Amino acid sequence: MEGERLDLVYRVLDLQLVDVDGRRCGKVDDVELSGEPLRATALLSGTGTFPDRLPRRLLPRLARRLVGRFVLGGNLVRIPWEDIDEIGATVRLRRKAVDLGLGQGDDELAPVIGRLLLARREGP
Amino acid sequence: MKVVFQIALGIIAAIGGFVDIGDLVFNIQAGAIFGYGLLWAVVVGVIGIMVYAEACGRVAAVTRRPVFDVIRERLGFGAGLVTLVASQFVNLLTVAAELGGIAIVLQLLFDAPFSLFVLVAVGVLFVVIRILPFEGIERVFGYGGLMLFVFVVAALNGHPDWSKVADGFLPHAESSLLYAYFVVGVIAAALMPYEVYFYSSGGVEERWTPKDLTVNRLNAVIGYGIGALLAIGLMMTAAQVLAPAGVQPETLGTAALAANVNFGETGLLLALGGMLFAIGGAAVDACFSGAYNLAQFLGWEWGKYRGTRSAPRFTLAWIAFLVLAAAIVLTGIDPVEITEYSVVFSVIALPLTYLPVLLIARDREFMGEHANGWLSNVLGCLYFAIILVLAVVAIPLLLATNGGGG
Repeated sequence: MEGERLDLVYRVLDLQLVDVDGRRCGKVDDVELSGEPLRATALLSGTGTFPDRLPRRLLPRLARRLVGRFVLGGNLVRIPWEDIDEIGATVRLRRKAVDLGLGQGDDELAPVIGRLLLARREGP
Repeated sequence: MKVVFQIALGIIAAIGGFVDIGDLVFNIQAGAIFGYGLLWAVVVGVIGIMVYAEACGRVAAVTRRPVFDVIRERLGFGAGLVTLVASQFVNLLTVAAELGGIAIVLQLLFDAPFSLFVLVAVGVLFVVIRILPFEGIERVFGYGGLMLFVFVVAALNGHPDWSKVADGFLPHAESSLLYAYFVVGVIAAALMPYEVYFYSSGGVEERWTPKDLTVNRLNAVIGYGIGALLAIGLMMTAAQVLAPAGVQPETLGTAALAANVNFGETGLLLALGGMLFAIGGAAVDACFSGAYNLAQFLGWEWGKYRGTRSAPRFTLAWIAFLVLAAAIVLTGIDPVEITEYSVVFSVIALPLTYLPVLLIARDREFMGEHANGWLSNVLGCLYFAIILVLAVVAIPLLLATNGGGG
């Protein structure tokens, strides 16, 4: 994915993240730009990006309270651009979600709800 | 041959799954009040759902994107969030209405308190969802819903005045707010947004690929097309049995009585059985839609095919929907009233749901050779205009007519 020109807002932002095993593990909630000239260096995913993505005029303080770090933990994961395998209908990653810190919510809840509902252990 | 058989089974399930409590309430009331006068609105509604379901299914098959992925992608985070909140509110009301509907039908069959039947409905749906695979759920409820064909037979048996029926299929306006309210209600009941959320996510659950585009088209056009006959049968039966007697159907039981008039106890049991399966299936669809939307907006793993341990937040979400909806209906609000609100409010979520689908379905960059043809484009745009009009007039009409109470 090096050296390509992409319309970040149209082709990357808000796409589904899928890890190397085909597991859905978050959304592209924001894109990190840095360097001179500016280049996309990482994808950002997690509820920590939500306050900045809401329209500024939409009661920003209330929004921060509702979706900010105090409520949802301010979870923010940085995915280096090098870890992207392919950008198409989804953003396919080169590594496992767990190695990137993605999909933690599902990982934490899985054993609890699995026990409660007596669910069999399944493959991925 | 086996493939053809499988396709036919899917289509039959789509036919039986067409009707939900919104169609039951609005079509039966419309028939009781306006006779055959609103048959045309059923046709307008069903063509709309065919157009959008076909487009959503095609997008899911070609890009493996369900509707809410597309919504977030094309509307962005802010407008996507507004759509999510609106659609989840409507989904929750819809599940509550369906649970209430199941309890009403069970009360007509057995003697026990309403609240007990709500809990029974929640328990049975929970077990069915847990035990059956995705396809099995669709088929069990879809096939059971076919019992509603008793209303089609009843309508034909009632020796309808075919010239009046034909007049009913011609769109016409009446200078009555109540008539306008029912036009909106009948069309909106056929176009409920949860249907396309469920349909497109179902396409992904069943691992559709571009090879399944024919199945998608047949499901949407023939499945929903023949399914609409059920809605027409309901309206015609109500027009023949309830309208002349001046009966305003206050509950679903009145509607089932219309089948009783024609075929006695067997007719009544078929009508109630059909309602039970149709409403039960819709409860599952709307419940899953809520979980699909949330998971797709936030990027969680989702799908019945993934299993509980692989998609735990998705699983928790549909359970939460079921429980919250039960809580709403247990407050004692009349399920028929909840149904009317869920249908009318759903109209507001429609434009935000369908615009992104329309945009992506015609985008050659994403869809390649499977992008909208001229017919899909013309119909898609026409229906988007219709939906915009409905969205503007729905709430004022609800208030002006006191929820259809005149």
